[in-house]
Amino acid sequence: MRGDLIDRYSRSDSPVHRWPAALKLAAALATVIVTVVLPAGRWSAYLAIALFLTGIAAASRIPLRFILRRLITLEPLALGIAGLAIFQPGGGKIFATMVAKTTLCLLTMILLSNTTPFSALLDVMKRARVPAILVSTLALMYRYLFVLADEAQRMRRARASRTFRPGRWWTWHALATVIGQLFVRSTERAERIYAAMTARGWS
Amino acid sequence: MTPALEVRDLRFSYPDGSEALRGVDLRVAEGECIGLIGPNGAGKSTILLHLNGILPEFGGRREPGSSAVLVFGEPVSPANLASIRRTVGLLFQDPDDQLFCPTVFEDVAFGPRQFGLNEAEVRQVVARSLAMVGLAGLETRAPHRLSGGEKRRVCLAGVLACEPRVLVLDEPTSNLDPRGRRELKALLAKIPATKIIATHDLELVVELCSRAVVLDGGKIVAEGPPADLLSDEPLMLAHGLERPHILQHHHPH
Amino acid sequence: MGEERRSLPPTSTNTHIPDGFLDAKTLAVTAGLAAVGVTTAVRLAQAQLPPRRVPLLGVTAAFVFAAQMVNFPVAGGTSGHLLGGTLAAVLLGPSGAVLVMTAVLTLQSLIFADGGVLALGANIFNMGMVSGVGGYYVYRGVRLLGAYGSVAAVPVAAWCGTVMAAIATAGELSLSGVVPWSVGVLAMAGVHMVMGVGEALITTLVVLAISRTRSEILADEAGGLPSRGMGETVVFGLVISLGLGMFVSPLASTWPDGLKTVAATLGFLERAVTTPLVPSLIPNYVLPGIASPAWATALAGGIGTTAIFLLVLGVARLLVPRRRPDGGPASPSP
Repeated sequence: MRGDLIDRYSRSDSPVHRWPAALKLAAALATVIVTVVLPAGRWSAYLAIALFLTGIAAASRIPLRFILRRLITLEPLALGIAGLAIFQPGGGKIFATMVAKTTLCLLTMILLSNTTPFSALLDVMKRARVPAILVSTLALMYRYLFVLADEAQRMRRARASRTFRPGRWWTWHALATVIGQLFVRSTERAERIYAAMTARGWS
Repeated sequence: MTPALEVRDLRFSYPDGSEALRGVDLRVAEGECIGLIGPNGAGKSTILLHLNGILPEFGGRREPGSSAVLVFGEPVSPANLASIRRTVGLLFQDPDDQLFCPTVFEDVAFGPRQFGLNEAEVRQVVARSLAMVGLAGLETRAPHRLSGGEKRRVCLAGVLACEPRVLVLDEPTSNLDPRGRRELKALLAKIPATKIIATHDLELVVELCSRAVVLDGGKIVAEGPPADLLSDEPLMLAHGLERPHILQHHHPH
Repeated sequence: MGEERRSLPPTSTNTHIPDGFLDAKTLAVTAGLAAVGVTTAVRLAQAQLPPRRVPLLGVTAAFVFAAQMVNFPVAGGTSGHLLGGTLAAVLLGPSGAVLVMTAVLTLQSLIFADGGVLALGANIFNMGMVSGVGGYYVYRGVRLLGAYGSVAAVPVAAWCGTVMAAIATAGELSLSGVVPWSVGVLAMAGVHMVMGVGEALITTLVVLAISRTRSEILADEAGGLPSRGMGETVVFGLVISLGLGMFVSPLASTWPDGLKTVAATLGFLERAVTTPLVPSLIPNYVLPGIASPAWATALAGGIGTTAIFLLVLGVARLLVPRRRPDGGPASPSP
């Protein structure tokens, strides 16, 4: 199913997958923190972190191609912002540092999200006393992303089947109408979810 | 013997005027299986939503007067909604409205947790309910990765986990493939609770229900054994229905 | 085709700051600001949001997430995307917008690696608070301007939200010494002034579509929900202006070229530092006596942030209503 694209491997099996979610989340955060705090140009340190992450990636048995593809998808944005850094003395070094650090952090998060189901992360948050309203918002959002995406696609296809006027304005108008209808449907669905929740005792 | 459900002169209308009820009287004995049928807009879903108190709380106007809904003799009122909802379990039409938790386990556990069971009890109930619907082992699956039939069965497990004495189902076989439908039908036949099924699936009514109730324009227009009622072709056609195929050669006694 | 590759995060109008760009002190400061903002929004939502609206937050978050992935064709083969902060605010109010954007950003950073985890604070501040809450108050303000006001309110608010968020981003990047202010403002804010037109257009069209079918949703937000107390306005306003003040005002002056050359020659701190808001106890963000500049900076940022955090929290406690006496809505266990 299309929803699998991002965290497709989150429910596979490997030594890394079996580690407790809290541990993985903490390790990921620690890695990111260390990477960010390292001063510019510490290439040996960056390399060490890269090796560490590579080890984890290997142990996790996630296909290399998938990891690389995700990285390649995400890099352009980082490169874009980093590119602005060149316009200052010493900019080249800053640019290189940015790229290195961002890549390491991206890799960390790709590994985290593909070795840990989102529901496990939610559990960790609950135990960490994140406010319930935020956790439930995250949970419902994750659950309904896929439903909504399917709805959105169905609506767009239906629209496209009835649109004979090409041209930018009509496309914008059609897309905006789809989004508007999606929101209305979302509110109605939210009402029904509330009904389903109260039907099973929520109050 | 107190009827499991009693609806007395129920009158109701939505703010936009759709699906009004114009005086519905219904009595359901414990253990019965009722099939509620009728054309779209007749008010079937509206009645179901009254049975566990979701309406009129949710908006719409309940006419004052002798209107009442009683569950095992107790009138449904804002004060006793929690206990009513333990007694009456409602399976909604769209599983996506009902399956709102990140994993199957969490979703089936939702009801028991709301009712205050401790974690060990919750785990037991969830295991039992999933086994009942034939989905043991799917605890860690995410809802969006399930098939339509599986989703519906998880929803049913979630309702069964609340151990209701009355099971109310809104279009349970809609959007199921033939196998899914067969499995659900077999499942429902096994459940001993009192059942009220609103459905377009007329064959289901013939196969499962002891009584058929025809609703049209907000009123009950006919009641009786499914085989007799549903082979009454003029009656069926008059109310937006038709004689189901399995009764094509059936002659009412 | 855009919709087939749902794995792609939106690129061109994306202001999600990845990890590795902002330095420790900026991360700490923005995290603090975001923490205050989100805490306030949580308290307000718990106190004011009727239980039947709680699922709406989650569903709206999914909606914003999905909406962010829709490609709107712009000139020359590029595409624009909806950011959604101001839209969420117009539909759900400022607290709802903050919660929704926080959820969206958290999911994006944890699962989609779109936007950094440590940079969450900055992204929440920029997109949730500046764009969402800030945009909301622009919306309310413009509406007061009579008949033309109510027509222009949504597009103006959406545009302002986008541009302000971009300016804040540029300020944060500059404060981190990554991108010089003049370049940053030109690039980010400049681009977003154009992209903001797209955001304004899309947001307006969406609001129009909603008002045609279910106008009571908008009416609800405008007046039906419990009236917004002064406390909420003050707290959110404080957080936003503090943040913008820190990131933007001292940087408005261009760097004298001479100073830059001197600094480079004498090998001063690699990162340029400013801000008059940090007490002079901690000169130039470096705690005296601590050897490593990186840690000293981070600690100083942390202390400064904590002080600010406590200050604003104190104000919030005074002004924002506490949880409802019955304990507020118990959120579902998922």
